[in-house]
Parts: sequence; structure tokens; C-alpha cells
Amino acid sequence: MHVLEVQSLQKSYRLSGKVVEAVRDVSFNISAQEVLAFLGPNGAGKTTTIKMIAGLIVPDRGSVAIAGRNPHRQPNALRSLGAVLEGNRNIYWRLTPEENLEYFGVLRGLSGRVARQRAKVLLDRFDLSHKRKTTVQTLSRGMQQKLAIAVALIHEPQLLLLDEPTLGLDVEATQTVKQLVREIAHEGRAILLTTHQLDIAEELSDRVAIINKGKIVAQENTVDLIRQFSGTVYEIELEDGLSRDFLETLGRDRFQKLKSLGALIEKNCIYVRETELLYQALDILKPLAIARIEKDQANLTDIFLKFIREDYYA
Amino acid sequence: MLELLIAQLKWSSIQYRRYASEAIGGVIALTATFYGLFLSASYIGGGSVRFGDRLDSVIVGYVLWSLVIFIMGGIPGTLQREAQVGTLEQLFISPFNATQILLFRAIGDLIIQTFLISIVLIIIMVTTGRWLSFSPALILPFITVVLGAYGIAFAAGGLALIFKSIQQLLGIFNFALLFLLTIPTETWSGTQQVLGWILPMTTGAGLLRDLMARSQPLALPLLGLALLNGLVYFALGVSLFRWAERAAKRRGKLAGY
Repeated sequence: MHVLEVQSLQKSYRLSGKVVEAVRDVSFNISAQEVLAFLGPNGAGKTTTIKMIAGLIVPDRGSVAIAGRNPHRQPNALRSLGAVLEGNRNIYWRLTPEENLEYFGVLRGLSGRVARQRAKVLLDRFDLSHKRKTTVQTLSRGMQQKLAIAVALIHEPQLLLLDEPTLGLDVEATQTVKQLVREIAHEGRAILLTTHQLDIAEELSDRVAIINKGKIVAQENTVDLIRQFSGTVYEIELEDGLSRDFLETLGRDRFQKLKSLGALIEKNCIYVRETELLYQALDILKPLAIARIEKDQANLTDIFLKFIREDYYA
Repeated sequence: MLELLIAQLKWSSIQYRRYASEAIGGVIALTATFYGLFLSASYIGGGSVRFGDRLDSVIVGYVLWSLVIFIMGGIPGTLQREAQVGTLEQLFISPFNATQILLFRAIGDLIIQTFLISIVLIIIMVTTGRWLSFSPALILPFITVVLGAYGIAFAAGGLALIFKSIQQLLGIFNFALLFLLTIPTETWSGTQQVLGWILPMTTGAGLLRDLMARSQPLALPLLGLALLNGLVYFALGVSLFRWAERAAKRRGKLAGY
């Protein structure tokens, strides 16, 4: 069973007398232990979709079900939802981490006693115990973000919405948040992740949905999507450049053999098209020192831009 | 529900304790405003003006006015502050509805504010030399006034959700309230008396004046009317707020002030 089911969501706004379709027929599901990267340029409809899932915006059409319950009609559906929203602090800066966790725990339906117990566990787990009595405004940005995620988990929701969770974080804090996202998904929660940092989306997501102008233009398993857009070209990088003298030493016939395989030679890199040809090229190059062999791999940034641009020209 | 109320009380007390200077500043401002009002009334009326039991009424009216202003500004103020600090949406992502959360938050704030206003009252009594009589029966008309005030607060909160900035409107409300709470409707008769019963909070405020300033016994029929008045305004305010919440969610304007 899917933890989140989004069916044909639609939302239009009236702006200066004109109707703007913010979200058009958006559908996707997320299962337990799954991270869906929900990507799109600014103004594509990501935030509107997320807010419709969280019950903060009423859709014109379509439905949302969190653990089988509609957040717009059944408030109990929100017991299964935790959210860290972009552009928001999400926590009270005047309170301490402990006070934030306890307060939001009760707000999410826990008893005070359970909220206190869970707060202690989460403070330990998120390495914030030593700061539990410090007001949030004096914590580092990374700690504040960790706390916002901890607060979103206080009631142990099945679905976690993470809108730009690494925005504005330094390298170390980003690594920590990435590790936390992995752990949280591994525990069995479904995660909807939006980010403009596509390398992070690529690293963390099981599936990707790309939205543009309110419509989903691609939705696929992340590995399959990258494989689909990756070529079959191998790049062999040699430790020393193939200088004219070196080619003389190597022998012109070996150079010719590489060319006859259809290999492209550029500085100290040799490009061959297929796996079979790779081994033949390696035989030819023996015993030269090889620095790196890599298959041409597309990345999510290229794929994302391709979809967005194709959609633009269409 | 009780857990939520306790959590809200704790939330409010932490805010006041941690930022005590703001609370103390509030007490000073309230006391100074009253003193200003008192002095200007004396100036306009001439040095020979004698308030007599009217001064007691003015004191009760003023204290009540400041408390009701606090209640009335509480809910729209909370919505605006939460939106500014970026926590508003987290309040709406809760299995409790926003009305419950805001009401409990407002009750938590009111308990603390009542304590602060008690201090103001004591300062006012010391400075004017007038000692008001307190009776446990005060709580009943006080509740009727507070109910009406919460009704208006929810209505104002609803307007804040839809129109966002309502500070100027709240400013006008404050003066309308001064009229509602200090006008002696308990002395009106005939059609005027009926109007007094319909106006928000005035009947309860009149009962408070009778009890505190005139040391009269509690008039139960009037208390019934005051309670009905408070309940009707409370229900109207909550209904308006819920409508505004739905409208804001339809228009995608819940946050963003």
C-alpha cells in the first residue's frame, strides 16, 4: 500500500484578472521506505502541490490520501504527516530544542509525557542533547535544520515532506542532513523531497518526478532515468599524455589500431564506444599506466534541464 | 484537549518569562495610558471635576477595555507573528483544528495577561486612592465579556487571514471598544436598553461596574442576557474564522503576510 497517493491534483489562481493554472493533473504515489525527489524550476507548482498534500491549500480537483486518509476531510490524516517547509523556520526561535519538541509533540496529538520521552530520544539521535536548553536562535543553521527535521518526526509520521532541507547549509551540515534523510527512509517512512540541489536529489532519491508549468513531465525510477539518458561510451584516462614523442615510443601501429577501433583520442583521454571495444583498447594500451576508466554517465542536472528545455520549446 | 491546553499555557509562560522586559513594558504602558486618560479628563473637565463613583466605573471600564483589547488583538496578532516567524503553517498541520489551537493559545496568554492587569489595577488603585470591591461573583460577568471578546478576536483573525494587514482596522476597533465597555448601558431604558443588550459585551461590562464600583448584588436575569450575548458573538466569530480559513486555503493565502 502507498503511504501517499496523489491523484489528478489541479489548482488554478486568479491573478490580475487572469486565470493561472498552478498545478495541472498531477498524480504520483510514494511507498514506505521510498524517497521521491519532486523537482522543478521556481514557479513550477512544487510548493502548491506540497501544500495541497499538507492540507494547507484546497485543490480545485483531485485527491490526496495519506495512509489512506484525506487530509482535507479527515484531520487525523495529519497524524501521519510531518513537514519541513521551505522559507519557513518551522520552529520557535525563542524556545529551546527541548521545548520545541515537546510543544509540537502535543500539537501533533501526543500526550505531554510521550512528547517528553520522544523529545529526549530525538535530541540524542540528532546529536542535540548538549544544546537542549539553548534557545534556538543561538544555534547554528545546521542545528536549526536538524531540529526542524526532528520536530517533524516527533509524532513518528509515515510521510515526511522535506522542502529544500539543505538550503543554506554548509558542507558538513548538508552531509548530516543527507545521512538523516537516508536513515529516516530506511526506518520505513515515505519521503517527498524537493530541492534545487540536483546532486543531492540524485544521491538520495529512489524515484524522480519532474514538474514544469504545473504538469509532471517525467516520473521514473532514478537509476533507470539516469541509465536511459546515459551513453555507452567509455573514457580511458592515461596517467601521461599521448605526446608526439610518446606515440613514437608506443609505435605508430598501436596508435593506428586504436583509431581502427573507432576510438577518439584527445590529450590523455581515449574514448571507445562499446564494452567489447574497451577490452580491445586496453589490450592495445598495455602496459601504459591508466589513471581512470569511466562510463559516460548522465546526471540528474542534465536530464532535468533536458526535460525543462524540451517542454519550453514544445 | 487538556494536554493541548497545558502545552499552550506552558508555551505562553515560557514566552513571558524569557522575555520579561516586554511584559514589564506592557504593564508600564497600560498604567501610563490610564494615567494619561485620567489626567486629560481632569484637564477637560477643569480642576474641580469630581468623578465620585464614576471614577470607579472608569477604572473598571479601563481595565476591562485593556483586557479586551489584548484578547481582541491576540488572535490576529498571533496569526501575523506566526506567519512572520515562519511557524504559522505548522499550526495548521495538526490533527487539532486551528480554532482550538488559537483559542487555547489565547487562553494561555489571557491568564498571564490577567495577572499583569491585576498588577496594573493595584497600581491604579494606589495612585487614585480608590479601592474597588472584589467579589467572587465577578467571574461570571467577566466570562460573558471575555466570550464576546473572543468572538470579535476570531472575527478579526478571520479578516487577518483574508486581508492580511488589518492593523488600521484594529486601531479603529480599539476606540469602538472604549465606547462599548465604558458606556453605562445599565442605566438605559426602553429601546436603548434593548440596544444595550444587543451590543457586544456591554451588558457584561455593566454588570461588572454594578458589582465592583456600586457594590450591587449580581442581577441574574441580566447575567443570563450577558451570557447569551457573549455566546452569540463567540459563535459568530468562530464561524467567521472557519469560513475565512477555508477561503484562505482555497485561495492559497494561508501564510504570506
